[in-house]
Amino acid sequence: MLTALATLLSHYRRHPGQLAMLLLGLWVASALWSGVQAINVSARDSYARAEALFSTGLDRLERRDDEPLTRDDYLALRRAGLPVSPLLEGEVETADGNRLTLIGIDPLTLPGDSAFATAGSTDELTGFLTSPWQTRLAPDSLAALGVARGEAPGSTPHLAEGQRLPPLVPTPSLPPDTLVMDIAAAARLLDRGTTLSRLVTAPDALATAPDGFVLTRADTLVEPGQLTQSFHLNLTAMALLALVVGLFIVQAALGLALEQRLDLLRTLRALGVSARRLVGLLALELVLLGLVGALAGIVSGVWLAQALLPDVAATLASLYGAEVGAQLYLPWHYWLGGLAVTLGGLFLAGSGVLWRAARLSVLGLGQAQAWRAGFHRQLRRLALAGSGVVALGLALWAWLAAQPPGEGLIAGFGLVAALLLAGALWLPPLLALGLAALARLWRRHPLAQWAVADLQLQLPRLTLAMMALLIALAANLGIGSMVGGFRLTFLDWLDQRLVADLYLRPPPAQFDSVEAWLGERSEVRETLPTRHAEATLREAERDGAARSLERPVSLYGITPGAALVPHWPLLDTRQGREAAWQAFRGGAAFVNEQLAIAEGLSPGDRLIVEATGRRETLPVAAIYPDYGNTRGEVLLATPQLAKRFAGTPSSIGIVLAAGGRAETLSEALRQRFALGSDSLVDQREVKRVATGIFERTFTITRALSALTLGVAALALLASLLAQARSRRRQLAPLWALGVPRARLATVQLAQLGGAALATGLLAVPLGIGLALGLVAVINVAAFGWRLPLHLFPAEMAMTLATAVGVALLAALLPALRLWRTPPRALLAEEEAT
Amino acid sequence: MRQPWIGPLLLTALLLAGCDASQETRQNTGFAGLGEAAGDFAQASPGTPLRFPIDHGPHPDYRIEWWYLTANLENADGEPLGLQWTLFRQALVPPDERPEPAPWAADQLWMAHFAVSQGESHRVAERFARSHSAGNDGQAGVRAAPFRAWLDDWQLASRVEDAASDTFAELSLSAHQDDDRGRFGADITLDAEGPLVPHGEDGFSQKAADGQGSLSSGSMYSGSMYYSQPFWRVDGEVTLDGETQPVTGRAWLDREWSSQLLDERQQGWDWFSLHLASGHKLMAFQLRGGGAAGGDYRSGTWITPDGSPTPLSPGAIQLEPLATATVSGREVPTRWRLEVPSEGLQLVVEAPHAERWMATSVPYWEGAVVARDPASGERLGEGYLEMTGY
Repeated sequence: MLTALATLLSHYRRHPGQLAMLLLGLWVASALWSGVQAINVSARDSYARAEALFSTGLDRLERRDDEPLTRDDYLALRRAGLPVSPLLEGEVETADGNRLTLIGIDPLTLPGDSAFATAGSTDELTGFLTSPWQTRLAPDSLAALGVARGEAPGSTPHLAEGQRLPPLVPTPSLPPDTLVMDIAAAARLLDRGTTLSRLVTAPDALATAPDGFVLTRADTLVEPGQLTQSFHLNLTAMALLALVVGLFIVQAALGLALEQRLDLLRTLRALGVSARRLVGLLALELVLLGLVGALAGIVSGVWLAQALLPDVAATLASLYGAEVGAQLYLPWHYWLGGLAVTLGGLFLAGSGVLWRAARLSVLGLGQAQAWRAGFHRQLRRLALAGSGVVALGLALWAWLAAQPPGEGLIAGFGLVAALLLAGALWLPPLLALGLAALARLWRRHPLAQWAVADLQLQLPRLTLAMMALLIALAANLGIGSMVGGFRLTFLDWLDQRLVADLYLRPPPAQFDSVEAWLGERSEVRETLPTRHAEATLREAERDGAARSLERPVSLYGITPGAALVPHWPLLDTRQGREAAWQAFRGGAAFVNEQLAIAEGLSPGDRLIVEATGRRETLPVAAIYPDYGNTRGEVLLATPQLAKRFAGTPSSIGIVLAAGGRAETLSEALRQRFALGSDSLVDQREVKRVATGIFERTFTITRALSALTLGVAALALLASLLAQARSRRRQLAPLWALGVPRARLATVQLAQLGGAALATGLLAVPLGIGLALGLVAVINVAAFGWRLPLHLFPAEMAMTLATAVGVALLAALLPALRLWRTPPRALLAEEEAT
Repeated sequence: MRQPWIGPLLLTALLLAGCDASQETRQNTGFAGLGEAAGDFAQASPGTPLRFPIDHGPHPDYRIEWWYLTANLENADGEPLGLQWTLFRQALVPPDERPEPAPWAADQLWMAHFAVSQGESHRVAERFARSHSAGNDGQAGVRAAPFRAWLDDWQLASRVEDAASDTFAELSLSAHQDDDRGRFGADITLDAEGPLVPHGEDGFSQKAADGQGSLSSGSMYSGSMYYSQPFWRVDGEVTLDGETQPVTGRAWLDREWSSQLLDERQQGWDWFSLHLASGHKLMAFQLRGGGAAGGDYRSGTWITPDGSPTPLSPGAIQLEPLATATVSGREVPTRWRLEVPSEGLQLVVEAPHAERWMATSVPYWEGAVVARDPASGERLGEGYLEMTGY
């Protein structure tokens, strides 16, 4: 048994290139997959910890007049019998300049089941409640404070402004970059006196908000895990793609290794090794290779994740406000899962090899023509399978169409996967058809005809690599046009939305006086005050038929001023923009696209909205795009929102008159009203920050997509290198017939370049289909809004060129070797066969 | 509502807490070594006079303290109904380590228990708060005169505004709780029909055989300052299971403060307060362990109808469980033989409803009991029984 295994494995000693290729494929597939999974697992751990904290899962109370809550509010509510608990939240800067969230709690009144309330003893509670207090934090937050894990318990690191934190108590259940301490200690550190950030209660502990307060239910606060789900699904899909492409390499290498060992296998069979044992040995070989490849892959995956995590964390924080630890969290199931996926994929890829080995005929001869016949059967099967996948995709499509809008994210990915898979399965039959047509066309050009016939013979071994290339190209194209389209749309939209030059967020008490003061300044052409309120969308009415919705929405008030109206983007109106704005001024509402899609609203519907205890009917005049917003929003004219719902003042957009200088005005504003440094923002700054966030999101997507293409190129190269040696024998007779070596090399390049071009051409419609699926299905399901489809011909040409370039590069090495092989050697090889 | 931190804390907060050896160890380490820190708290000792109304108020220099009200009531149909409301105070730090008054800074911890029981119904609520002893306007606190003890909206307060008169004689209790099982609560008035009664030696109640005069473990007196008002007449309304019923009856209020509670040998406590048909009142308790020769330590007070107390020595009280019931998975004695031979008192004390478990941070049994003649079964009185450490 051992001898047989050693004999089988000795093949790789003679062909170390094949072994390297096999391991490379496994390594790449497993590295990308486990890297992305490491990021996902770590992020989910962070979300789980955050969700177990008090910022989510608890109802919140805030003052209706937007004044800060104080201890007196807390005491008054407690004495009225309401089970509220005070919470203080702020930010501290560490000595190294890191910013950490600081949360002060009262453990005595905090609703239970909070992950923070870890088991403790009497002195722990006393220690928590009394001087010098305690700082509870997750061990992965220690780095931000510059404290080593071993020295953490009890140490009192300095903050940037010189204060010291209370002694540290590592608490693994807390979310990253969050410090939790008693509210007394927090109030002292943040210098907040008796003010509070908010009051919290157990979910649904209060039936209604007490007078003068606004109650926000926990279930209307979106949890970070929910929000970021689509982001992680995206990453997972990309990783899966990389895994599949990597497995194509493995499949190619395994197939080749088997092909070359057929004689050896027959000999072994003839020597009395049973077919079952042979298959067992091959399976054992797979396991050994798989373990090596997977382990190497997982190790590099962790490294990759470590490299990517800071970017991912920054993106998630800015996009969704979800804190993700800067350190990886890798539980045992991560390692096991990574190994299982890689080994499972390997067996899937190797199952064909095992199958063929099992049915090996002891006397069979490797006849090229017989093999071709087999390949024809295989082509039929591929075409059939492709059709099956298409049918499945159509079924998914039909199912999705029947779903309420915004549902079916996973089905959407399924649809996209079906599209890619069908494309890949149909590729070999299509290439074979094309070659057959060419063969007829070029009947009179012997060399061309030979080239076509030769390519037909090569096709079986090239197909897998070509399929990998097709998938990678299509994914690259699809993602490229989604990202590009998104950027165009988003930048446009940002330009349209941000019409004012300056945005000012005065304290609520000063709002009116600031507005009046601005109105008298000569450099101000127009002020655009906004207001906001939290509301419940009770019902929607169409043609007199009412539907109950009961959905939380935000009410947002904008001023339909001369600077804003011409630019504000609208997607759908009833009787044109003019009429819509006319109605808007008169009290009609606009709803954002995500709300319209989610609830099936269209202009002309009437909404029953309840906020701050008032119930109003609002006709919908238009739908507007609202990229990046995670919530449903109803837009009203600011005066309407103030009058009908007592909306709270939010910000004032300031449009400068010609020649008005932003610097002068902001200086005057600061002097007159003692505004904080962050209450006045330049429009350019807003744009810069917003664009930065989206750029970072797509950097990750593009990096993964480029990696996938790289892997596909490797697959192609590996396949070509694998058969280069045997190809030389077939080229030798041609040379002997008088075809110069340069010509032969060119023919080879043309063959592969042509095949790659054909694959690339097929990838274009596939990529467009993919982009369509991404913007029209997946985006809607994940974010609630639809992107217009943008196509970028230059980028497509670039991708095509890449495909051909990759193929030529891959063909170049064998061609070069052919070029440099002395003709005698070629002949010697021919004789050897 | 789960407050995992609170549980261990209350081991020390509740004099009545069950203290097995391991818990006692925790208690000792829990306060930075009871032995060393103990000297920083004031100590209950014999000869400390009771002063009113000041002693109705808090004694923050002592480690723990409570205002403990139990009431045996009946509704208009004569159906019995029980009520307990207790405010516990615990000092977080010794007096000389108190923090400067600052927003939220605290040196006192408060806990309130509230229970209403009728028939098979038994509803329990628990709340917590913090305060600084320098201020008296927090979420919880007690003011001596006019008397007011509160936590959130729960309060036991005087109905007399004039601080110069005895504001403690006319009180009202208001407490309500809303939870997923519905609302329960009480709005009752309490009128004292007799004097305040000091227990033990002029208010110093010894808690172990070697407690008085000598130094027990931790260089502390094992004892407390302890007085009661057992003569309350009650009138008002109680809400239970969504139904509000007019009630009348009588109540018993215990006031106790101490810095050294139990000693480590004591595992639990059975405590009786009885209103007898003769007009007499009886307070009797036994601490299981800590008695002479390692036995149980008993003590009590025999109170005449006009309020004059006779301290009962450990040997004067005979106490023996007759039957147990399984309550919340524990074997709890719900039928007792209680005899005070010097007063010719022979009673069988029985809980008509065994399901009176207080599933609070520190769980214990607290419920109404009926006292009967052992021979004839004649009803001789009623009261409350509290049992811990089971």
